[in-house]
Amino acid sequence: MKMLHTTTRAAAIALSACLFASAAAADGKLAIKAGRVLPGPGMPELEKATIVIENGRIAAIGKDVKVPWDAVVIDAPNLVAIPGYVEAHSARGMDRPNENLDVAPFLSVRDSIDPVGFYFEDSLRWGVTTINIQQGNNCVVAGQGVIVRPIGLTVDEMIVRTPSGVKLSASPKMGFSAATQAQALRRAFGDLRRSLEQLVAEKKEGSDRARREALYQGRDLEGENAKGKAMEGAAWKVTGFELVPRGEIDEKLVPLLALVEGKLPAFFYCGRPMDVHTALDIAKENGFLAKTTLVISPAAYKAAGAIAAAKVAAILDGAAVYVETDPLTGEEREVFVPGELKKAGVRFALASANPTTESLWFQAAQCVGRGMPRAEAVAAVTTVPAEILGLGKQLGTLEVGKFGTVVLCSGDPLSVASWVERVVVEGRDVYDRSKDVRVKHLIGGQAPANTQVMGASLLGDPRKVVCCEGEDPEEHAKHEAEERAKKDKGEAEDDK
Amino acid sequence: MAAATLVATGESKDQTSWTISAGRVYTATGKVIEEGRVTVEDGKIRSVSKGGGGDLECYAITPGLIDLSVRIERDLSSIEQSREITPEKRIADALDWFDEAWKREARSGVTSVMINPLERQVVGGLSVVVKTAGESAQKRTVKADSALYGAIGSAPSQSNHPAFGRPDDFYSRRPTTRMGVEWEWRKAFFDAAMAREDKNLAGPGTLELQKALAGDLPLCIQAWTTQDIRTAVFLKEELAREGLGKLRLVVDAAAEAWKEPELLVRSATAAILPPFSATGRSDDGSFFALDTAKVLAERGVTIALSGHGARAASERLCYQPGHAMRGGLAFDAALAAVTINPARIAGIDKRVGSLEAGKDADLVLWSGPPFEATSAVIGVLVDGRLVLDPRTQNK
Repeated sequence: MKMLHTTTRAAAIALSACLFASAAAADGKLAIKAGRVLPGPGMPELEKATIVIENGRIAAIGKDVKVPWDAVVIDAPNLVAIPGYVEAHSARGMDRPNENLDVAPFLSVRDSIDPVGFYFEDSLRWGVTTINIQQGNNCVVAGQGVIVRPIGLTVDEMIVRTPSGVKLSASPKMGFSAATQAQALRRAFGDLRRSLEQLVAEKKEGSDRARREALYQGRDLEGENAKGKAMEGAAWKVTGFELVPRGEIDEKLVPLLALVEGKLPAFFYCGRPMDVHTALDIAKENGFLAKTTLVISPAAYKAAGAIAAAKVAAILDGAAVYVETDPLTGEEREVFVPGELKKAGVRFALASANPTTESLWFQAAQCVGRGMPRAEAVAAVTTVPAEILGLGKQLGTLEVGKFGTVVLCSGDPLSVASWVERVVVEGRDVYDRSKDVRVKHLIGGQAPANTQVMGASLLGDPRKVVCCEGEDPEEHAKHEAEERAKKDKGEAEDDK
Repeated sequence: MAAATLVATGESKDQTSWTISAGRVYTATGKVIEEGRVTVEDGKIRSVSKGGGGDLECYAITPGLIDLSVRIERDLSSIEQSREITPEKRIADALDWFDEAWKREARSGVTSVMINPLERQVVGGLSVVVKTAGESAQKRTVKADSALYGAIGSAPSQSNHPAFGRPDDFYSRRPTTRMGVEWEWRKAFFDAAMAREDKNLAGPGTLELQKALAGDLPLCIQAWTTQDIRTAVFLKEELAREGLGKLRLVVDAAAEAWKEPELLVRSATAAILPPFSATGRSDDGSFFALDTAKVLAERGVTIALSGHGARAASERLCYQPGHAMRGGLAFDAALAAVTINPARIAGIDKRVGSLEAGKDADLVLWSGPPFEATSAVIGVLVDGRLVLDPRTQNK
């Protein structure tokens, strides 16, 4: 785990949008006095408790916690505090995910993220505070992802960890067959192996091509990078690899090498049940099965047994209820996918089906509706995704030592009538619904001042215009004035 | 596995008499019965009272949901398109009673639906209200010719183009603009009114238009945007002003009704709202604010919600009241908007829409508080027949 970026970003946050309030900086102290605290799945709830956050981490939580004298206080006696939701996998928030180059492990999501994209605003609005952004599903080896918090004006401010893993797909990329997809995956690792063997061969021959190339590209060849290390990995190794200084390895090879050496997680997409075997085989053949998480479409639920047997976790990428049609009879059947995963013994996280109405809260709520215990449903959007991302010690619950990332809801977090009112990310007070002009637009259609938002009324102030075709506008205005006068008079008399 | 099948549990598949109890029975008559019981006999509700026990138990019971804009069977071949005005055509004649969509609606709690002609014509024809399950087309029909349906907006003129310069094809026809669509509406009603005096002016469909003018047949117009809703309301007002008739107007898919609710209030127009969207953006370039249902209900507009026959489980009618409640609509109003209101709009409230003795036994059984995301539809009865068995759910 790398050290986290914890510099003050108050200025940037204030600039970014009206909804970002900058009451406290990460290195300050913040206390949240909440009416109710639901610290995590299965943990006892606390009435009227206080959460103290210092330097971005929770310093104390409980009923009788003393608020430090210098802490900024969020007094929320009517709100319910929960840990922020963790999105285990998403291809949103980017200019465009890579679904173009087939094998591009060197591409990073980092270069595609648009920090001011609406997606990040929406995430906060629906209580999602950590997102693993990965390249798209329509690929072979799509590139590296990053874990971000949905705040900040630059990608660097947003990043929790980079790279968070490599995205691969076992489902045929558009135009590919299952066979060509599997072959393309095998070739990617075969090419890696040959390239590494060639590096070793060149070293043995005394060639300095790799070194010259590294210098030409301006790579750092000092310190650790000057040393060669024997190759690690559970599946295959290139002998004599210690001859190659690590800094001389082509950057394009590094991410896949990291996979094979078991140093980088893999997020492997499976759109169909049959893809699961391909994914598991490729991961096994190249020694990264232990670091693999499958990203499965609802259709892949039929391979739940194989997923469980391989002891890999799965992220459900899509709706919780899968509607499938029998190809023979045309009959429709509905399958509650998280239920199937649970039955098979798969450890799973849920992903949002869309960033707003079917965000993580809704996915968890649907599981409760289908009979899953609430703690398990909530775990699938908090603790389990946090563990999958290797952030189990930092995120997922509200406990001392973990990130001070807290979402304050107006009521039961899984109720349709509740809204996210405030969000605190690592001690920074970043969202306040009362100042969120765009949420007002979504709810009531009111366009933010001085903006021309799609759908905003072209007729002036919405809901005040009374249209009057066939009525003389002057007559109408006169009538309205009379009505107003009558009403005012009535009120004046009431006052008496 | 949540398959909507009947299981052999002793009683016959054709059983139509039941006693069902629930922690809360929402009757949609303004009354909620705690620890209540509904008895069903021969497909009709016999009593709604206090009491527990019975054949089936669940957390809550509501009346069967009613969707007035379900959009099953609406491909281009389902209705005649050789003319723009075909008020005499019946969508009932084009229904495929074996479509899987019926079962899909039934197992998610929708028990009565109105099927409307396609919006690709100006006046499409006659709608029909049917049950989502049942033995035969005849038995399933709740109300034939329940409304005259048409459209304003971009849909009726979509793809149409003038004949010149191109070889003639199906779309070489008018109208090609919103103005043209409005003209077609006004001409149709004007001609129908004139035909009252001069029988020689009558043609196919004249009778249906005259019925709509007389207020005997509800007129349902699809209008997504505020400008289209205006056109519909102004049409009604113009006809009234000219003394040609009094339309009973219903606007379907009225996404932008929030912009000028006064229009609907002053013209006593009912509104069927489309499914809520994730971004607020809706069809035909409209913006559907989340509090639309609340704003309209508070001003006394009769509203009905609809699911447009979504295949995805989470987009169906049973989730729409939840979205409306998120936008501020009170629970009682949300319940009414999927039960008694649509029943009244379609004129079928004597048979369905609430839990009262003598009405059809169309019931929805819930696993938790209705419309909450944490609740599921676990049981459904249509005319007393179990189409989704709560004993097989959430297992």
